[in-house]
Amino acid sequence: MTKVQLKGVRKEFGAFTAISQIDLEIASGELVALLGPSGCGKTTTLRMMAGLEVPTLGQILFDDEDVSEVRVQDRNVGMVFQRYALFPHMTVEKNVMFGLKVRGTPSDEIKRRLEEILDVVQLDQFRHRFPAQLSGGQMQRVAIARTLITNPSVLMMDEPLANLDTKLRGEMRRFIRDLQQRLGITTVFVTHDQVEAMELADRVAVIFNGELAQYDAPDALYQRPNSIEIADFMGASNIFKAQITGGIARTAFGDLQLDQTVCQVRDGSGHVLLRAEAIDLLLSDADADQNLIAGKVTGREFFGATVNYTVDCNGEAITVNEQSRRMVDVGQDVWLTIQPQRIWVIQNPV
Amino acid sequence: MPSPRTTELARHRKERMWMWVQLSPVLAVLTVLFGGALVLAVMQSLGFAPWFGVNTFPDFSYFGALWGDWSFWQSLGLTLYYATVSTVIALILGTLLALALVRTFPSKKLYKYLYKLPLMIPYTVGIALAVIMLGNGGMISRIFAFVGLIGDPSEFPQILKTHYGWGIIAVYVWKQTPFVTLTLYAVLLGVGRETEEAAAILGANKRQIFFQVTLPQILPGIVSSTLIIFAFNIGAFEAPFILGGGFPDTLPVVAWRYFNDADYTLQLQGMATVVSIALIASGILYSYLAFYRRYERRIGRN
Repeated sequence: MTKVQLKGVRKEFGAFTAISQIDLEIASGELVALLGPSGCGKTTTLRMMAGLEVPTLGQILFDDEDVSEVRVQDRNVGMVFQRYALFPHMTVEKNVMFGLKVRGTPSDEIKRRLEEILDVVQLDQFRHRFPAQLSGGQMQRVAIARTLITNPSVLMMDEPLANLDTKLRGEMRRFIRDLQQRLGITTVFVTHDQVEAMELADRVAVIFNGELAQYDAPDALYQRPNSIEIADFMGASNIFKAQITGGIARTAFGDLQLDQTVCQVRDGSGHVLLRAEAIDLLLSDADADQNLIAGKVTGREFFGATVNYTVDCNGEAITVNEQSRRMVDVGQDVWLTIQPQRIWVIQNPV
Repeated sequence: MPSPRTTELARHRKERMWMWVQLSPVLAVLTVLFGGALVLAVMQSLGFAPWFGVNTFPDFSYFGALWGDWSFWQSLGLTLYYATVSTVIALILGTLLALALVRTFPSKKLYKYLYKLPLMIPYTVGIALAVIMLGNGGMISRIFAFVGLIGDPSEFPQILKTHYGWGIIAVYVWKQTPFVTLTLYAVLLGVGRETEEAAAILGANKRQIFFQVTLPQILPGIVSSTLIIFAFNIGAFEAPFILGGGFPDTLPVVAWRYFNDADYTLQLQGMATVVSIALIASGILYSYLAFYRRYERRIGRN
């Protein structure tokens, strides 16, 4: 159980600045995702925590102790690489034992811990196979076992679910989550996929252009992003310009009552964010009393369990997502409504 | 009307024939120039040379005379010594250089160009350079004399024309280190840094990383490059001829002397020498490959 802190960390590669400045605190036993588009600096941040890169400026602290200059071998961290980086010439067993062998652990202890960890990752029957003879999920479990057997103080993972197919992703997600909770090990992982970040992490650090843009729990980040860029990156489709006056947002498609206990706003310009699944689609205007928006269905996308409607409301296209218990036809006149506490307003900082 | 199956078979046959037609030029060159020459060399070494008025085929006396002479085994020893020592030195230097080149350092681009220079310069130029630099009266001996380390350039220790073969080895190493580097650099780029980084994070030191992680992964490149340079070194003629220490010569030089002897019937003895070189070289290279294949199977490569 280790607390990780990044204090004013900056990283330059020659003339290129990968990280301009990052301050981050990861509580002991927490599972944190570093989320951002490719090239934003999230992998560099992870590599600095692991000791594979040395920060140009700033400090990296493990349990309040500065480890910025500590050699990677002495940092006692674990890392699972995106393409697993298994040793292709070693069997599963030898891959897993590598960390203990190079540290000179006595062989009976290596044997005991090997059995333990192979049991945890359920790879016992594959112990004599080579990496090339394993599936993606199995390779990842070997990579995790190889790391965990050394009892690292911090576990790091680079895009842990990126190379897996949809079915395996779910399985591995549960596996990683359970394992992390069981062992209570501080875990940091990098991803460019906001769904993956939200699925796994206790908190998500969004990094844009080498800077920390927001650091919050997944639901807060999803419901209450602090900028349009973050909202957009988190998959929000309904972001509209609005003029805020006295707790009311005036938009092109009508006025929306806001709940100021949820979302503190000031008068002036801003943007409203309406989550597609928070909007109710009604066939009659008698079913709602506030925040009623009239429109016409112009598009329908069927995803099986859910369905997305595009509704034209006075020139603005609003996306509505609902369970596919019914089908509304394209061309039908409809009414949309949203509860005030589900509306989030993004305003430029003063 | 023919059935579709017959049409398909006919098409396959046609395709196969076309493939052989396309392969025929290279097959002809291989069969005639390489296979034909090999067969002729073996036959000649066994006494078949009617154009010299000699035809005692099959006659093993040429091999008998050759292998019965102690100087043949001395020549073989020298040949293998030069070939092995220069291959090992070129391998070590080439590996170190390739490992350095995958790292980032200032003016790497220039070094990446510079190290390839000997590859583009012919062996004979390398030999001439060795004579100019390393000989008694060469540049280095003159510099030593100039700075007062020795009284006269002629006092400079004998490097060339000794059976230690430092000149020969120097030329081979100079020419072949870049070749090993080029091969291993490409292999290292393919392997990538990730397994090394994973090993470092797991606590391995530099030595453990190299011997347990990097080396097994670049071994195919090491085997193929050393195979090529060793085969070349065993059969190479000009460096030991010019820079060697005289009798006993290396086997290719011995063969050359037989071919140039006034008594042209000795050409058969020369051919027996050439066939011996081929037999020994292929025996060594085959065992090397077999040994390596066994290791590969042990580490799961098929």
